Amino acid sequence: MEFTREIYWNVGNSAGVLIPMYLLTLIAFVALGYGFWQRVKVYRQGQALNRTDLLAQRIMGAVRDILLQSKLLRVAGPGVAHALFFWGFLLLFIGTCLIVVQADFTDPLFDIKFLTGTFYKLFSITLDIAGLVAIIMLGGLFIRRYIIRPEGLDNKKDDLIMHGLLFAILITGFVIEGARMAVTELGTPLAAWSPVGLVFAKVMAAVEPEALRSLHKATWWLHLLLVIGFIISIPFTKFRHLFTTSANYLFADRGPTGNMVTLDLEDEAAESFGAAKLADLSWKDIFDADACTLCKRCQDRCPAHATDKPLSPMKVMNQIGEVAFDTPDANLVETVSKDALWSCTTCRACQDICPASIEHVNKILDMRRNLVLMEGEFPGEEVMTAVDQVEVNGNPLGLGYATRADWAAELGVKPLAEDPDVDVLYFVGCYASFDKRNQAIAKAFIKLCTAAGVKVGILGKEEKCCGEPVRKMGNEYLYQSVAAENIEMIKQYRVKQIVTTCPHCFNTLAKDYRDLDFDIPVEHYTVFLEKLHDQGRLKLGHGEALTCTYHDSCYLGRYNDIYAAPRALLTAAGIKISEMAKSQVESFCCGAGGGRIMAEEKLGSRISEARVKMAAETKASTLVSNCPFCLTMFEDGAKGAELDGQLAPKDIAEILVERLEA
Amino acid sequence: MKTLLVAEYRNGKLLNSSYELIAFAEKLGAESAMFLVGTESSLPAYNGTLYLADAGKYGEFNPAVHKQLLLDVIAKEQPDMVVFAHSSYGWDLAPRISLALNAAHVSEVIDIVDGVPVTPACNSKLRRDVKSKTAQMVLTLQGGAFGLEVEPSGTPSVVQVDTDAAAQVEFCGYEEAEAGGVDLSKAEVIVSAGRGIGKPENLSIIEALAKALKGEYGASRPVVDSEWADHSRQVGTTGQTVSPKLYVACGISGAIQHLAGMKKSEFVVAINTDKDAPIGEVADVLIVADLKEFVPALTAKIQAL
Amino acid sequence: MKILVCIKQVPDMESKFKLNGEGTWYDNSDLAWRMNEYDEYAVEQAVQLKEQVADSDVTVLSIGPDRVKEMMKKALAMGCDRGVHIVDDDFFKKDPYEIASIIAEFGKGKEFDLIFTGMQSQDRGSGQVGVLVAEMLGLPSITTIVDFAFDAGQITAKRELEGGIKAIIKTTVPALVTCQLGLNTPRYPTLPNIMKAKKKELLSIPVSELLKVEGKQETAKMYFPEKKGGGLILEGEVGDLTDQLIKMLKDKTAVLA
Repeated sequence: MEFTREIYWNVGNSAGVLIPMYLLTLIAFVALGYGFWQRVKVYRQGQALNRTDLLAQRIMGAVRDILLQSKLLRVAGPGVAHALFFWGFLLLFIGTCLIVVQADFTDPLFDIKFLTGTFYKLFSITLDIAGLVAIIMLGGLFIRRYIIRPEGLDNKKDDLIMHGLLFAILITGFVIEGARMAVTELGTPLAAWSPVGLVFAKVMAAVEPEALRSLHKATWWLHLLLVIGFIISIPFTKFRHLFTTSANYLFADRGPTGNMVTLDLEDEAAESFGAAKLADLSWKDIFDADACTLCKRCQDRCPAHATDKPLSPMKVMNQIGEVAFDTPDANLVETVSKDALWSCTTCRACQDICPASIEHVNKILDMRRNLVLMEGEFPGEEVMTAVDQVEVNGNPLGLGYATRADWAAELGVKPLAEDPDVDVLYFVGCYASFDKRNQAIAKAFIKLCTAAGVKVGILGKEEKCCGEPVRKMGNEYLYQSVAAENIEMIKQYRVKQIVTTCPHCFNTLAKDYRDLDFDIPVEHYTVFLEKLHDQGRLKLGHGEALTCTYHDSCYLGRYNDIYAAPRALLTAAGIKISEMAKSQVESFCCGAGGGRIMAEEKLGSRISEARVKMAAETKASTLVSNCPFCLTMFEDGAKGAELDGQLAPKDIAEILVERLEA
Repeated sequence: MKTLLVAEYRNGKLLNSSYELIAFAEKLGAESAMFLVGTESSLPAYNGTLYLADAGKYGEFNPAVHKQLLLDVIAKEQPDMVVFAHSSYGWDLAPRISLALNAAHVSEVIDIVDGVPVTPACNSKLRRDVKSKTAQMVLTLQGGAFGLEVEPSGTPSVVQVDTDAAAQVEFCGYEEAEAGGVDLSKAEVIVSAGRGIGKPENLSIIEALAKALKGEYGASRPVVDSEWADHSRQVGTTGQTVSPKLYVACGISGAIQHLAGMKKSEFVVAINTDKDAPIGEVADVLIVADLKEFVPALTAKIQAL
Repeated sequence: MKILVCIKQVPDMESKFKLNGEGTWYDNSDLAWRMNEYDEYAVEQAVQLKEQVADSDVTVLSIGPDRVKEMMKKALAMGCDRGVHIVDDDFFKKDPYEIASIIAEFGKGKEFDLIFTGMQSQDRGSGQVGVLVAEMLGLPSITTIVDFAFDAGQITAKRELEGGIKAIIKTTVPALVTCQLGLNTPRYPTLPNIMKAKKKELLSIPVSELLKVEGKQETAKMYFPEKKGGGLILEGEVGDLTDQLIKMLKDKTAVLA
């Protein structure tokens, strides 16, 4: 027999079918266009932003991410279900397109029918399996949402409509196929190539052919109407994510991770800085709300949310959307609430996991900028004092700037002002310079460098805070001011290479400072030391056996993808690492980022204690970190969680220096 | 050397700072007379002439009028030094007097060496010897800097003074400090928290040590200003002046105002990461350590005794 | 309303001080400079008063070398309308009387309704200048205020006294008040105000134009205090230190008997 099927079987392709069908389709697409056009008008309330540069890369990246569903697959359960559902539906869509191509073009124009033979057999079985997988996955997603009910997953009317509509479309599709097969294919070899349809056909086998034909026709029209309804509903329901989320892949930020806009503060035309009203945001900020499908993966990973602070990144994104669509004159900061804004630690877990490429962090930081630059507001007096101290003494701790290099005296490390002839400039940072506990990191690092034969210089009292905590708190003005001073000082000494023991200083000097005409190479000390170790210049022995757990700091990990070097060093030093459940890219913040090292944690429970408890679960004796903020938070957190007897927080430098081979 | 001592009276009572003025005169070996706007029922135990203006008539706080009353006495007594306490009354009234006398005015004197007054500077980190260029001098003495060696005794011979000078401001009464506070002046052991505790939660470390030592906890001004501790816990010039048998200052740098409030303590222990902190001035022992580590460890050992 | 606020630039008290060559003052090197903390409250109160009373103008005045202009810009950014910089590299040699007379000379004839100053400076701490200026200009003055209210020409202020008691004082303008810590919460300057401050008038007057008197006292010597004899400094392991301290308390006090 011929392996094919008659397109429009039983329904016919007379004008009475084609005209309404195409008319409805046209209406559907017009409605789709209109619906989106209305939304585009709302996005346009935001400022211009160029996200169509490097277009070829953007398109390739977007297509790859969409087809491979790579971002969705980062979370196994629902990720796999969605991916399979998506591929199933995609195949069905492609199948329908192929039918249109044959029925409307190749057949009437060229008399070519390609849906025959082997191709048709493959076509048929692929679509059947696609449809079955889609139904099963849809069922799974439905059960997850409505029966398992994961915490934080809110169910709206939209969700029910979407599940219902998709289910109806899929089921009616099989009913149509089953009815047709019951009349035309039962008992033929072709039937095996539509196994799911065959099941439906067998169920309907007992029905009279006349009745089957009526059922087929009616269901065909119903299916058409459902699909038309589906297309029309796209812009008006969460279905819009088919376009908006896909487009968001296209419009994603391709700058360095953690990139913030370096404001032109001299701009006399600028009436306002930061974001307080809708027009202060870019179109992309508003568009992000439309790309959100409320999957809550960001909320699930937010350390503030996990410790009962009023911050949910998902909620903030959607509040912006609500303002944009419903109350465009509302004040953004009041809508989102200051407590929520100040709670963010800029850990980036939200943005990193988001399957819709939404940019959560910078919106929060823009609103903070408005509070600080336009209102002079801070989350507390202690923050205002610390920020003031950065201005007066170049460090948030309020210690005299002239004592910044006192820690180095006994080690014979000289400031560049005395001896500029060095291999590398060690940008110490405020905490390693002034905080007693963290000075141990600086001293350990010097000893490691000395052992590796590297001559290290420091800026000493000429070094100022890199500006990162105040920048993240919203004080762009003070940040640019101290940054400019640091840059001038460093350039004056013709420094060739910079190393830092603080990931925040590292991220700021290596990336943020690039906007301020600074291009000297900067490395975090773990990468620097690993190179020296590989070269054989840094010799590490094994020392006392130690099982530790390693905390990937946000600014070394998610911001800079440095996961391997520190682990390689620890392994080289004979340390056995017992990884926490949340490690590497899934690492859970210590709580000090986003400038919060300067603030008191007044809401909810302590982020640092939550993380220390996670570390304690590994039963390791030592919690190793790579950041002075993390070390500070873990010392406090261990005491607060009463784990300071069991778990000793240490910086990786302290571990390595104990294991230097003579 | 003749001194005129300006005593203080508030809320119906003579203030004890008045005796510190007498101690100063004695240290100088100078003659003295006293001036007080007070009442007959609150005279100091003092064997000298006391020029008394009626507080009921002229008010406890009335700078312009007190100034005129005092100037009249100065004109009569012609003292070489007019001595006030460096108090909210003294530092307010003294400059008015020094200007009218065209005399040098040295504030917050902590010592006098060969007739040269010594004052603190820069949060007590430095000392300054001040030389007067005028024959007459006005001085305000830091609270607690001069103390009587022996119990005060005597009865003054009172000379009443009056004036018809006009007031420039109106005194409308006092507002008491928040009620329900603790009276640290009675405590035998006080453990105080300074800015070094870092955050409000760490006050519990201090309280625990105070309890272990069977004493009370106090606080320095910054801790009270940040509302980590109640005002009744504040030790210092604007808080309470204490003289316990043991005073443990945790994370307190030793600003003058705080020192003034506790330096009469019998034994002072300071816990500070800065071995040059001014608290070292008055401490019998300064332990260079992080109080967040040291204090809980100490508390635990004491509890185990 | 015409308001004057007098501010002084002092070193940040966390600085490690050194003595100058003559041994009569601290050396200027390695010091971070800032507005005297008490004066921050004065500036804030002056600006709040300006916001309260229509058609008010605030002049901020400071005496010192060129570097005080940075600090004055901050006062302007907080809301003062204009600045007067009295240029004097030797201001630290002048006694409170000279300083007050310079300010009073400036204020003469200008009919300021209210003058705000800090109650004392963090470096010298004499606490005299405010009252002296008032006396020189014949104005009533209220010192050490922790509360300030103004209504139709009348000031109601609360002075902070020892022991936490406050005294309620009233007077009418023109007057002078000296501000104690905690009077208000000094605002953080917003960026637009920082930008505007750059364009505000900042007059420079050489001190010679205003200084017409001679000082009545001088600093003979400035020096570091001697460590009190018997003051032990203990360093080391926390475990050892606690043992040492407990032994000391047992030996020297009756506390752990």
